[in-house]
Amino acid sequence: MKCYQCGAELTEHDFCPNCGAAVKVYKRIMSLSNRYYNDGLERAEIRDLSGAIESLHQSLKFNKSNIQARNLLGLVYYECGEVVAALSEWVISKNLKPEDNAADDYMDLVRNDPSRLETFNQTIKKFNIALNHCHQDRLDMAIIQLKKVLSMNPGFIRAHLLLALLYLNNGNYAKAKTEAQKSLKLDTGNVMAARYLKEAEAMLDPQEAKSGEEKAKVKGDVIRYQSGNETIIQPVRTNVFTRSGSIWGIVLGVVLGMAAAYYLILPARIQSMNASFREQISAISEESDSKSAKMGEYEQQIASLSSELEGLQNEVNSYKETETTGSAPNDLMAAVSAYLSNPEDMDTIETQMQGVDLNNMEGAPSAQFTALYNSFMVLVGSELSKRSYNTGYEAYRNGDFETAISLLSKAFQYDNTNVDALYNLGNAYYESGDTDNAKVVYDQVVNDFSDTRSASSAETKLAEINNASD
Amino acid sequence: MINFENELKKFRPSLEIEDAEEIIYNQDLDDMADVLVGLLKDAKAEEMSRQTRIH
Repeated sequence: MKCYQCGAELTEHDFCPNCGAAVKVYKRIMSLSNRYYNDGLERAEIRDLSGAIESLHQSLKFNKSNIQARNLLGLVYYECGEVVAALSEWVISKNLKPEDNAADDYMDLVRNDPSRLETFNQTIKKFNIALNHCHQDRLDMAIIQLKKVLSMNPGFIRAHLLLALLYLNNGNYAKAKTEAQKSLKLDTGNVMAARYLKEAEAMLDPQEAKSGEEKAKVKGDVIRYQSGNETIIQPVRTNVFTRSGSIWGIVLGVVLGMAAAYYLILPARIQSMNASFREQISAISEESDSKSAKMGEYEQQIASLSSELEGLQNEVNSYKETETTGSAPNDLMAAVSAYLSNPEDMDTIETQMQGVDLNNMEGAPSAQFTALYNSFMVLVGSELSKRSYNTGYEAYRNGDFETAISLLSKAFQYDNTNVDALYNLGNAYYESGDTDNAKVVYDQVVNDFSDTRSASSAETKLAEINNASD
Repeated sequence: MINFENELKKFRPSLEIEDAEEIIYNQDLDDMADVLVGLLKDAKAEEMSRQTRIH
């Protein structure tokens, strides 16, 4: 024991050997603190946790630095499920005595198992929620929550007590009794638990509870007993079922009948239904197979018909081509006829001559056809060539090289002296990117019209094409 | 007969871990020894002031 004034170690004397301060009362206070600690320890040993808490609190009121009392108080709190209160006591204890303190071990015990700590925390939160449910008059919810709490931490005494109270409130006295007994098992000195137990037992069996008082008098269907100055008349709980055994017989018969139906009739019925379903399924699957086979046949037929259709389409196309080439003599004759009718109607003649293409005729043209064509060209070739050239050159200028090639080629066909048509045909091929045909045409210009300006231009173009290909 | 409402009032919310720090700081740690020391100090101060008044 140390002096409260200077901190020196005290002796058996009533004054401090160092500063001389009177320590008689101080020693008395320390002694009381230790006495309460001993009392708390004894109570804790017989699991009177409530009593232990009370004594240890008293001990600490006399001496806050009673480390053993504080550590024990923490342990008792921990045992009650009040983990936070326990930790608080241990933290204060550690603060008061940093070295060689058992509180370290206790805190390590909790800290080294975070999952356990988390479980405790969840338990506390759920308990608080349950308490809140109680205040909000949601008692069923509170009971459910408390059951969860106790499944997580069966040592949480306050949860047992609250659950017992709720059971008492809703008339479930047997369960209330169980919960109160559990609380008392955890904390033998818990006054609240003892009161709840007494109340539950009283409600379960009033006669037994009042055994110290007058015995109950049972007359007819009421129980009479004396409670202090009051005479209690309580009706015996009887109803139609307790009075008549025949109703029980009927109920039993109904239950047995239902059981027989469930175990004997239902399985056969289910089996027959299953057999019928299986037959239906097999019939449906057979039908499905036959339809699948038919679908396969139809698909094959569609494929063969498609190929046949394609062949026929090709045949039709070939006929069309043949018809086009074969119509050239007719077109020529129509053009000649139009000329004979009106030599000035060059539009009609030109239209009829569009079907005459010497380059695309199937097979060699007949001698009569060639003779007629040449004679006719002597008459109208120059004019037709000029018209085709104008239209073709316009198309070339507009960048429509396909049309230009077709028309300029016709223009040279009508008049094979039209060097401009031939040269621009080469240009149209060149501009459209068809350099092979362009070279052929330019060669023809150079060879057949060597003295013309077009020939020199064609030579230049040929040189360009050759340079580009190199 | 237990009164449910009155009994329910005896139950207080349990302390949660998040509140531990606040609980520790707010705990009244004064003990009888502190009270005794305070009394002695007061008595000594009173004695000194009385002597000062006499002189």
